[in-house]
Amino acid sequence: MKTPPRLLRSAVLLLLATTSGLPGLTAGEAPVLARPGARPLAANLPVETAVLTEAPAVPPPITRRTPAKVIVNLEVREVVKRLADGVEYTFWTYGGNVPGSCIRVREGDFVEFHLNNHPTSKMPHNIDLHAVTGPGGGAASSFTAPGHTSQFSFTALNPGTYVYHCATAPVPMHIGNGMYGLIIVDPKDGLPPVDREYYVMQGEIYTAGRYGEPGLQNFDPMKAEDERPSYVVLNGSVGALVGDRALQANVGETVRIFFGVGGPNLTSSFHVIGEIFDRVYPEGGSVASQHNVQTTMVPSGGSAVVEFKVEVPGTFILVDHSLSRAFNKGALGMLKVTGPENMLTYSGKEVDAVYIGQASEAGSAASKREAELIARREQAIAANPQIGTITQEIQQERGKKVFLTSCFACHMANGEGLPGVFPPIAGSDFLKADKDRAIKAVIKGLSGPITVNGKPYNNMMPPLEFTDDQVADVLTYVMNEWGNRFGSVSTADVKRVRAENK
Amino acid sequence: MRLSSCLRLGAAALAWIGGALVVARATPAAGVTTGMTLIPTGTYAPLVRSQDETAEVAVPSFWLDAVPVTNAEFLAFVQANPKWRRSAVSPLFADRGYLGDWAGDLELGPLAPPAAPVVRVSWFAARAYAQSMGKRLPTTAEWERAAAAGFAGPAGSTEPGFQSALLAWVTRPTPQPLPNVGSGRPNFFGVRDLHGLVWEWVADFNTAMVTGESRGDTGLERNLFCGAGAAGLRDPSDFPAFMRIGFRSSLRASYAVPNLGFRCARSP
Amino acid sequence: MKLLVTALLLLAPLLRAAESASGAPPAMPPCCAVIAPDAPLSGRSIYQLDSIWTNDAGRVSRLAALRGRPVILAMFFSHCEYACPVLVQDLHRLRAQLPEAVRERAAIVLVSFDTVRDTPAALRAFRERMSLDAGWTLLRGETDAVEDLAMLLGVKFKQDARGQFAHSNLITILNAEGEIVHQHAGLQGDISEAARAVALPLH
Repeated sequence: MKTPPRLLRSAVLLLLATTSGLPGLTAGEAPVLARPGARPLAANLPVETAVLTEAPAVPPPITRRTPAKVIVNLEVREVVKRLADGVEYTFWTYGGNVPGSCIRVREGDFVEFHLNNHPTSKMPHNIDLHAVTGPGGGAASSFTAPGHTSQFSFTALNPGTYVYHCATAPVPMHIGNGMYGLIIVDPKDGLPPVDREYYVMQGEIYTAGRYGEPGLQNFDPMKAEDERPSYVVLNGSVGALVGDRALQANVGETVRIFFGVGGPNLTSSFHVIGEIFDRVYPEGGSVASQHNVQTTMVPSGGSAVVEFKVEVPGTFILVDHSLSRAFNKGALGMLKVTGPENMLTYSGKEVDAVYIGQASEAGSAASKREAELIARREQAIAANPQIGTITQEIQQERGKKVFLTSCFACHMANGEGLPGVFPPIAGSDFLKADKDRAIKAVIKGLSGPITVNGKPYNNMMPPLEFTDDQVADVLTYVMNEWGNRFGSVSTADVKRVRAENK
Repeated sequence: MRLSSCLRLGAAALAWIGGALVVARATPAAGVTTGMTLIPTGTYAPLVRSQDETAEVAVPSFWLDAVPVTNAEFLAFVQANPKWRRSAVSPLFADRGYLGDWAGDLELGPLAPPAAPVVRVSWFAARAYAQSMGKRLPTTAEWERAAAAGFAGPAGSTEPGFQSALLAWVTRPTPQPLPNVGSGRPNFFGVRDLHGLVWEWVADFNTAMVTGESRGDTGLERNLFCGAGAAGLRDPSDFPAFMRIGFRSSLRASYAVPNLGFRCARSP
Repeated sequence: MKLLVTALLLLAPLLRAAESASGAPPAMPPCCAVIAPDAPLSGRSIYQLDSIWTNDAGRVSRLAALRGRPVILAMFFSHCEYACPVLVQDLHRLRAQLPEAVRERAAIVLVSFDTVRDTPAALRAFRERMSLDAGWTLLRGETDAVEDLAMLLGVKFKQDARGQFAHSNLITILNAEGEIVHQHAGLQGDISEAARAVALPLH
């Protein structure tokens, strides 16, 4: 089988364009570098165009049992998007989102890859696909100036789940700005069928501002060099997998998560709170060699595939179990499972009785007296309409943003917490009782047993790196949301408590 | 001929923007350097240097356009030189993105304000323009020498916030239409917009010998590029310099890139 | 209208090829063509460059003189210590893979970066040292000509303080019209794709 020479084809195309009156084609259409490459070798394969999906969706499994020529069209775009509530960032993306579009092919497929760099891009970009056997994984062959397109081809020799990423200098910045994704190479006979497949990737973002600092944030090269990210996120932004964007499943279903780490630097300790991975394909390889795994280590520029059957309903939290990343930097997502309870597998809370241990600090006489004084001061503030209403409303609006970047992860967006794990703050007697204690909890953290609304909790709240204003705002917000009417916190209060707890 | 095209330019600019400030730049006669700034003799420290290169390269003094070439100026050029019009240019010398923001062969339109920098020009077209003005494109060393200056002195990297401002520009998508030239603050030498407006062609952009596979570029691939390997990097944390090298090495001389313009230089 | 004209121009060689196929047995391999010197150049022909070159015999010509034959083109310099001798070996290998009829017509052209040291005499010495036969054309030009050609081919080069050049190792195949049909980067690689490109019929 001989393919017509390229120039003949373009001449014919040109003629067709002319006779059919199509505008815009000129003799300059043909690329500068025209090499026949490996295309003739794949001339007999059926041709299909790859389905690309936006995370957390995964392209459908390949049902073909013979190889094909698969055409992948991936567009690089630099876009300003939400990083957290009130925080924006210029992401460099494959397909407009972070992580990049998910690609799926079959072992043995011949892949014709087109990398299109959008005309508005500032930078040249390229792609290194770890699924490619060849120098640079395609990086040099796909190096593309803004407003240009490159093509290269490869055969997907090895099945597995592979990271792809940009390899243009400075590489840590290109990856840190979001240029990573997964390409799944299904084995010849396909992966075992499951009920749900999801695509989740972790990556760090090095912003000049600290976590939660509002506005359009710049990349900070020093933080990147020092590997000190302000954000560690799942699927590109804080909260990308929570609330109505959470992953979904029904009781009894088997879930498969293709989990990748773009990095550029950190390894993930991937864990789903309240679940055990029935099977793990460690490091994205083709064999599910591990069973019954709690936390799987996923290297930067690597992946893992986990499968588990969900047995009970509820919200299961996906975290990097290096937990400061989950609770202070955003590496947290949710899987919501709906269906009937299975009390034998998990009972829920069965007993809640009094236990006489050490007297809690919360009950001390000094605290109570202080609380009374504070209550009196708050009454005085509340009595002044100027301070009591206007200032407070502004604070509440600002505080809501702070809450939705950090606190909601444990205390939930509705303030009800998780029974037995994270105490409620909506209608919380604990919060109501002692404002300074609340301030201290935010700035210093809080651990050990406490009692909230008559129920015991024994967990650890990490100290949060908020500014004094942010602490005052978020507390004022939670003290006046969900029917709470607990007064307000001023920046001066926070400064005083900070000084007292040096 | 040149005089009449300048007159046309003036008229066109007025017609387009109704008397707003246009950076006027007369065609230089011998010795006259209107709109250009003399960059004194100095040095340039390449980011990547080969083993036998010194850390600093001497750059003799040269004149550099104070601002990039505008759409109005380039329009006057294509009016006078029909072979560089969009419909006539050889595909060998400019790809099909050439002057793609213009409304027509001789019409700028809303995406190409007259005082905004001309972009989507190939290296060949930029060089032809420079030659028509009795000038040339600056070399990499010259451009980098001028662009290393801060606002207060010849070394911007020592001024607080200088590098981070460059980085901030790189991480913003290109606005459309582009802002006018001259809106940036003049640097120590009195040159504007070297950073923060558009990328700019240099005469020897093809000396940026990286493959696009940046991880292999630290020791230039002998297989692809003959010659001495790189001795190393001056400063691996100079991200903006890295990006300029990366950008230049992604180009071919016929490319017309949406955020790539140019300015001219001449020797004293 | 303009498009139509362009299309017809591009198709003209095709039509010619069709004529020769239906008429008498072709006098030369399909890679080659008799092209009238005044026939308009295709928009992608590098023979639009009108720069002047001098060969190792001191004869002056333009690149367009190569029109009508496939060309295997590389840039080099005779003082090169490493890559250029290897590049020449690659070109020998490439040539050996060509069908005989094509091999006789194809021109191997080496163009020097070194405008100062590579005089016709220096090129002649290189020809002798490397035992290059009449199928090889060695050219030198002035700075602008070298720069233009390198830009058109996408060859990167840079002169260092000692006068040596760092440069891309790139072999470019031109068809009989002077259009780039293939480029091969790197040394000592699989050259068969490039050899196929030389033998491709013109249009």
